[in-house]
Amino acid sequence: MASEMMTGKTQKRSLGQWAASRDGQKVFVMIAFMIIPLLLLFVFTYLPFAEMFGFSFYNMKYIGARKFVGLKNYVKVFQRDDCFGALKLSLYYMAGSVVQLALSLYLATILSFKVTGGNLFKGFMFFPFLINGIAIGFIFKFFYTRGFVFDTVLQWCGFELENLPYWLKDQSINNISLVGTSVWRYFGQNMVLFIGAIMSVDAELYEAAMLDGANRFQQFRYIILPGIKTIITLNVILSITGSLSAFEPPYVITSGANGTGTYFVIMHEIAHTQQKVGLASAMAIVLLMIIFAATILQKLFFKYVFKGAEDEDLNASVKRDKKLAKLAARKAGR
Amino acid sequence: MKLKKVLAVTLAAAMTLSLAACGGAEETAPAAPAVEETPADSTETDTTEPAAEEEAPAADEAAAGVPSYSQVNVGEDYTNLTATIKWLHHKTDRAEDGTIDQMIADFNAVYPNITVEAEAITDYAEDALLRLSTGDWGDIMFIPAVDKSELQNYFMPIDTLENLSNEINFANIWEFGGQSYGVPYMANAQGVLYNKAVFEKAGITTLPKTPDEFIAALQAIKDNTDAIPLYTNYAAGWTMGAWDAYIGVVSNGDATYMNQKFVHTAEPFKDPGDGTGIYNLYKILFDAVEKGLIEDDYTTTDWEGCKGMINRGEIGTMVLGSWAYAQMVEAGDHGEDIGYMPFPMSVGGTQYALAGGDYSYGINVNSSDENKTAAMVFIKWMTEESGWCFNEGGYTVQKGGQNPDMYAAFDGATIMSDEPALAGEETFLNDMNAESELSFNAGGNTKVQSIVEAAATGSQSYDDIMQNWTMVWNAAQEELGIEVNN
Repeated sequence: MASEMMTGKTQKRSLGQWAASRDGQKVFVMIAFMIIPLLLLFVFTYLPFAEMFGFSFYNMKYIGARKFVGLKNYVKVFQRDDCFGALKLSLYYMAGSVVQLALSLYLATILSFKVTGGNLFKGFMFFPFLINGIAIGFIFKFFYTRGFVFDTVLQWCGFELENLPYWLKDQSINNISLVGTSVWRYFGQNMVLFIGAIMSVDAELYEAAMLDGANRFQQFRYIILPGIKTIITLNVILSITGSLSAFEPPYVITSGANGTGTYFVIMHEIAHTQQKVGLASAMAIVLLMIIFAATILQKLFFKYVFKGAEDEDLNASVKRDKKLAKLAARKAGR
Repeated sequence: MKLKKVLAVTLAAAMTLSLAACGGAEETAPAAPAVEETPADSTETDTTEPAAEEEAPAADEAAAGVPSYSQVNVGEDYTNLTATIKWLHHKTDRAEDGTIDQMIADFNAVYPNITVEAEAITDYAEDALLRLSTGDWGDIMFIPAVDKSELQNYFMPIDTLENLSNEINFANIWEFGGQSYGVPYMANAQGVLYNKAVFEKAGITTLPKTPDEFIAALQAIKDNTDAIPLYTNYAAGWTMGAWDAYIGVVSNGDATYMNQKFVHTAEPFKDPGDGTGIYNLYKILFDAVEKGLIEDDYTTTDWEGCKGMINRGEIGTMVLGSWAYAQMVEAGDHGEDIGYMPFPMSVGGTQYALAGGDYSYGINVNSSDENKTAAMVFIKWMTEESGWCFNEGGYTVQKGGQNPDMYAAFDGATIMSDEPALAGEETFLNDMNAESELSFNAGGNTKVQSIVEAAATGSQSYDDIMQNWTMVWNAAQEELGIEVNN
């Protein structure tokens, strides 16, 4: 009764009264807090994106008149060899990201058990992530230069300089060299994320598993892996989208020449050298679509992979629903 | 739920707003400058005309209008003018070593009341374009890659082409509709850098004059010395694009080729069979790479490092404009070894050299009259009095100015500069460059790099590359509806 009277009262209040009331103030405070981040998000993300989307239908340069050409830019993206040819390079980066994830998961598992000097290793391996991407580019440019760091180290190991390939000149391996730099940079970060997730697994489970006679690998397979599946999914999605949009290593180390121009580097070239802004915008939109598609496919894939675990839950809820329905039917029947 | 609603509403609002924004931009952008600016321009030129007839007595009253370049007498007129002008330039190295500040101080000794604020921009080519599109960038900038038809929307005419041609060389770089919009700060002659000591050691007594002689000279350097015969500077990219500078005057001795005939040529990349033309120009690079006359690993070349290497005699030749000469000389103890020669290509027995302006000063069309006048005075002073061009080793911009000694080897060669494009065709070359993506003299580094790659890996024959270029060139001509002559 009391509550009904209250609501009755509020309905009668004028707008001014409502604004002065606690409810009104609450709404104002909410809006006041939200408006700034939303405005920033809108101005710096959605507005430029919408503009770019608009550009993709025009034949235009940065300055000067624009000509509406409809979907012609999109047709060109699919017709040109260099645009889609560049996406093939992403396969190198995807393969690299698989290696990177496997390596970081392996190291994370080892380091999450008690290891002498574990924190020191964690620090060393995380360190590359802290270096600026451009600086890494320059480091590796000299690293791969003929007769410089990498060749010298290999010579210590007994390789002859004549037998070593040209790491950036030889077109059959230069992309692998570039992928190597990106693996070197990011595996530490992945590892730290994995360690964080593994830490949250209840330690008693290991003890219980040990009592049941599970070895380290079995512990990993049946306790750790299901425990951190969310973070694995996240890392895979991030690294696949990352490898579709690889830019820094090829741009800084080889400036996209010699068959190392990834999709982003080509896009940069088209937008800034050729000044075909419309075409470059269309390329960006197409890439966005590809990334969407890749993300959805991965979601479906992981749903399938972790089906075993989720199936039980699903069945349980279906059963529960059925029981409730029966109960309700009985009540209604009565 | 509430949150979702709020999100949905804001998203919807964002979309409608941005759609509206798109629609608005598309209507106003192309129309506004063309319609509004041209009458403003014509009134401006009108007001300057009577001032010229009065023999410029208005020295102390700038409000009477903005003088044209030829009307300013440096050191005499406008010495009492008070203004603060801002100047955007790309010479970060000269800003750091104090050259710019020193020149401005010298300028202020004559014009004490004109304050010049100079801003050096790294990555100038891109940033300047962005600044330009904002409109509020200052009073003087080095004109970036703008279509000539757009010039009048951003820059004021410096003078008529006719008048300016009497004052300076290369007055036509930024010419549109009979008006010149820019004055180059220095000019470059296009030749080849070489190390005299290396040439001597290799037994080369006369400078090569044809592609065959040049390749033979490179071979001699390889056989007789430890130096790298031709350093490509492949990795830096733009250093490869430098090869484009030779496609006009140098390769065919025709000053009208680059800006007038090139876009109309049906097969510009065909072998003329006499060791000239664009075909034989890039073939030098291809042959040098194929014969192993370049650096061992071209993908890891180092631009900063190459300066010291040629200075020490570790490099025989580099194909770069004359602007690079001063840097190579300064890079070590053997500056006297650096030489500069005309490009090894002879058309009918004569070597041609292209001289052309570098970045040009342009004045903001939206500045106040005082600032425009001060900017004009500053530009003319910089050209005639600062000595900047000479100190940079540039070919003289001022008519009859002094040339540095480095051009001694050019005595036998004919020096020419490119004629401007015909009226109504000013944008053709830019359009063709963009459409074909070959981008001659406009950042088309990738295509020259791919010549090196093809020669080194054997993935493509030289004739195939040239055929490809012809194909995209013809496709672009068709797309743009440009008339093709045979």
